[in-house]
Amino acid sequence: MKSILSRRKIIITAGTGGVGKTTLSASMGIRAAMDGRKVCVITIDPAKRLATSLGMQGLGDQPTDLTEQLRQALAQQGLELPKAATFSALMPDTRSTFENFFRSLTDQEELADRMVRNPLFQIFAREFSGTNEYMALQKLSSIHESGKYDCIILDTPPSRSTLEFLDAPKLLAQLFDANLIQWLVVPANKIASAAMKKVLGLMEKLMGASFMGHMVDFVTVLFEMRTGFTDHLRRMIRLMESEDVGVMLVTGAHSDFSEELSHFRGHLEKHGIRLDGMVVNRTIGAYRDEGAEIPPASASEFRSAVELLRSLKGREERGLENLKKIVAAGGLEPRLMPELARDVHDLEDLVQIARRLD
Amino acid sequence: MNSLARPSVKQLLSRPVLFVSGKGGVGKTSAAQAIARAQARAGKKTLWVGFEDPTRPPGELTRKAKDLYELNCVAELAFEEYVGMKLRVPGLAHLFLRNPLVKFLAKAGPGVHELVLLGKLWYERRNYDCIVADMPSTGFGLAMFQSIENWSRLFKGGPLHKDAAEMLETFADPKECGQLIVALPEEMPLRESLELEEFLLRLFPKNSPGFLVNRLFPKLEAEAAARRISPDPDDWESPVAESIQDFALRRSLLENHNLATWRNAGIEIESLAWQQVRLESELSEFDQVVLALEKQITQRGWA
Repeated sequence: MKSILSRRKIIITAGTGGVGKTTLSASMGIRAAMDGRKVCVITIDPAKRLATSLGMQGLGDQPTDLTEQLRQALAQQGLELPKAATFSALMPDTRSTFENFFRSLTDQEELADRMVRNPLFQIFAREFSGTNEYMALQKLSSIHESGKYDCIILDTPPSRSTLEFLDAPKLLAQLFDANLIQWLVVPANKIASAAMKKVLGLMEKLMGASFMGHMVDFVTVLFEMRTGFTDHLRRMIRLMESEDVGVMLVTGAHSDFSEELSHFRGHLEKHGIRLDGMVVNRTIGAYRDEGAEIPPASASEFRSAVELLRSLKGREERGLENLKKIVAAGGLEPRLMPELARDVHDLEDLVQIARRLD
Repeated sequence: MNSLARPSVKQLLSRPVLFVSGKGGVGKTSAAQAIARAQARAGKKTLWVGFEDPTRPPGELTRKAKDLYELNCVAELAFEEYVGMKLRVPGLAHLFLRNPLVKFLAKAGPGVHELVLLGKLWYERRNYDCIVADMPSTGFGLAMFQSIENWSRLFKGGPLHKDAAEMLETFADPKECGQLIVALPEEMPLRESLELEEFLLRLFPKNSPGFLVNRLFPKLEAEAAARRISPDPDDWESPVAESIQDFALRRSLLENHNLATWRNAGIEIESLAWQQVRLESELSEFDQVVLALEKQITQRGWA
């Protein structure tokens, strides 16, 4: 972990939901800053309390510099931040990023306006549409290109949608490359293929004229922008496949997760993206057991609660066996982090966690 | 925020379709399976629906026990089935589905994917007394509901629009369908559950969701007080505990603190206790949890 945090330029944290990935990503960023790196943590939809505790003003297009706040938080615990280090965080407004992105693809304002007005664009720009991930990637590459940071941590949404976001560039590239789009762009009376005419007719019958109208308009504008778009996609794919980028899998210790994760690892391989390691977060196993120190006279509820946690620890150990296999091929070992006793409130709390990442 | 009373878990379970939602990691799948089992045991022909589970065969429908069926609903197959139903002529549907443009749109078209997943569930409801849907974790689950709203509002005309509008009507009707939000007694999940409730109410204003708090830990206030741990987690110096024992005490205090916040907000809490599993059992850990939860559901008379 330490060597990754001191070496890799871009770390993407990805994994199953509900395992404290956002908190961990922020702590990883702090750990890297403690090593003297210039860090930016990009997080999508973090818990609002974490954002507040990081001292962030909410959604924005530019990173918030939190170096001084971090310096103070470290000082509280008798630690010093190296001179060269900086620490920033960014919670991109994916909606405006999306719009800006399209506007950047063309010089013709009118074309961009037409795109933004289309209801399909509105759907794509919505919070939950899966475009979030693509926009995160877009933000990542622009932050990377700014040259201000030597360690960027991107906290992505849970893995299923992360898979989608890895597929998005190729899916869109396919649309342009396979010339699929021409069928929608070419006026219907010029389509030579009878089969295609039939299919388009059926499509309109099924999906309705208004959907097809918007769709054709959307695709036509997209087609006009295709050069900028495909260039952009290729740049993103190149970035994802470059040595600068590594993925850190974050998971819980349940054995149920292992199938999903090995599926995920397969996807990374398919896309040629490097796997840097695995953090098994929220574990009881990361805590020591006071064992015999519990007074035998303790209330029976206490003893049964401790038994409950011990059995959980046993389950974790079993789950861990499967998780180990997923990263073993890459010569990696899962790293255990503790289940927190309470929520994270401020940078000092994050420092407490970062200190466990040695 | 919410003028209508939240339904109890028992009321929600009496409805023909139940959506079980919540953030990832709250035990949604085990709760949904336990509910489905309890419903089947109560004599209702029940279908548990999971969405796009990559670890199960796509579209697989299995009979798990008497009156209990499980379906792994997959968009690609649901779309094919839907097209086949609408175009009726088999050759035509085949020509249509084989077309590369159609294939592309089914995959990348906005909301088509989500729409057909819920469409399949909606269609299947005629074949069962009770459907329990294990919704994907928050974001994608909401996108599914959002997409039917989009189709019913934005794209007029055509069967897809008509079906979306009807689906919206069914899901908005408290007699037809219920929304159960599963949460853990932790701070962030509680907060997110309220956000989820707000979103669902915006789409279905007359169909209030209900809450179920999962994995309640034993109460250890006295022990914690004896060890001089402040009952207010905000007073603790670090979010990290010292040991397993220390964690147990703090966990219990944290839950008290968080549940008090919920009660103060006027939310009545129905809950399921944290299940201990035996490692040496022949049953998988997951199955043990499901069985134990089913027992609690039955004991509480919810099914």
